[in-house]
Amino acid sequence: MADLALNGQGPASDLFIEMEAAQFTKSGQAACGDDVRFLTVEKENRHLVALSDGLGSGVKANVLATMTTAMAIEFLKSNIPTLEAVEIIMDSLPICEVRKIGYATFSLFDFRLGGKARISEMGNPGYIHLRGVEEVPPLKDGQIASEHWPDREVRECEVDFRAGDRIIMCSDGVTQSGLGVRKDMKFGWRRSGVLAFARERIAREPDISAKDLSQAIAREALNITPGGCKDDISCAVVYLRHPRVMRVLTGPPYYKEHDAEYARQALLGPDHVVACGGTTANILERELGVKVKVRLADMKTAGGLPPIGTMEGVGIATEGILTLGKVLSALEQMRPPEREPAAARAILERMMRHDRIEFVIGTKVNESHQDPNIPQDLELRRSVVKRIAAALEKNYRKKVALNFY
Amino acid sequence: MEKVKVEICCGTACYLLGAANMMNLEDQIPAEWRDKVEVEARTCLELCEKENLGGAPYVRINDTEIMAQATPEKLLTRIGELLGGAA
Repeated sequence: MADLALNGQGPASDLFIEMEAAQFTKSGQAACGDDVRFLTVEKENRHLVALSDGLGSGVKANVLATMTTAMAIEFLKSNIPTLEAVEIIMDSLPICEVRKIGYATFSLFDFRLGGKARISEMGNPGYIHLRGVEEVPPLKDGQIASEHWPDREVRECEVDFRAGDRIIMCSDGVTQSGLGVRKDMKFGWRRSGVLAFARERIAREPDISAKDLSQAIAREALNITPGGCKDDISCAVVYLRHPRVMRVLTGPPYYKEHDAEYARQALLGPDHVVACGGTTANILERELGVKVKVRLADMKTAGGLPPIGTMEGVGIATEGILTLGKVLSALEQMRPPEREPAAARAILERMMRHDRIEFVIGTKVNESHQDPNIPQDLELRRSVVKRIAAALEKNYRKKVALNFY
Repeated sequence: MEKVKVEICCGTACYLLGAANMMNLEDQIPAEWRDKVEVEARTCLELCEKENLGGAPYVRINDTEIMAQATPEKLLTRIGELLGGAA
């Protein structure tokens, strides 16, 4: 069994890097002209981010930006020197018929756990590095120029990226929001505005996730501009921290003697625990002396799944296999949690807020699920959970552990 | 008079076999009974595993009485009986 983590905090040696981005597309355009791409090279414990803003907007810009991030990520991964990579990218981008240049900006982030980070930028607003609310200057800050493209200067920084630090990278749609339309922001929100906003958010919510912070910044950029999005907005945030651990208990243990130990796995703090299954909830009620409460309002708004219950001081309780089935399809198809029935939504939102998700799976088969009168096939819990684990790892870059009882 | 307590099992089997239709039972209860009936959802009453109880969905009434193959209609009839035609 994994060590019991407390208050959703994993062991100190086990750092997690959260990489998230939020985007808004320029009003009237079918595609976002910015692109953000992430890659984790597990073997090297290495994490890469590429953010690019393609020249113009719409599909054409999207193609330029996507080509840039796709190439940049591959070059970073293969340790191609920045200058060489930039030249290949610039030489490959299609030339815009109108402007007679092929151009896309980029911000690249390359970090190995336990080491320093390297950030390369061309044409994008300068990155922001925050340790708490304090801005951290780079260890090294230099410019490199290409002989092929003398007018395109690339800034290259070495950064001391430590546990608790955040890096914010954005397209100029963020820093130039409000420009020309807001009298109080003659030059738009600017990098200094983004910095002040991020510091204020972190001061209010010191543990704010990369996902929430990126969304808050992108949304603020959108709000600053009256009358819709004037330029594509993209904000990526990287947050290095101790992993937020969540535990999902589902199914009764094969041996009843293991119920007590199984139930103890639910003592992780109420924001980090979900019990999926009626029998599971009953075991926790019995072993931990808690009571599952279902509000009447939650019964009425359950939306096609059994309602959510709460176990005071322990976590939430949902039905088992139907709810997990909905969670699985949402994760596999990457559907946003908001549109899912209440119980599935609650689990999905918790999963999104955590970095490491531990499943504690009881393997006893529920005989009643074999009732021939039941109008649909019920999948086996074990296989559904394994598929959920795979989708969390592949689609959401979560760490997952499975413990069977 | 004591309230009539109704506990609806929301376990997978009960839910699929009809408990889903009882999630809004509160709204199906005639207005004049509402303050005399207490509806609760239970995560699982663990009755479906037992044999010879009559089949899911199960509802427990006043802590001891078990209704098998429950439907909103059957439940409303039984609640009416327990309220002694108070309606």
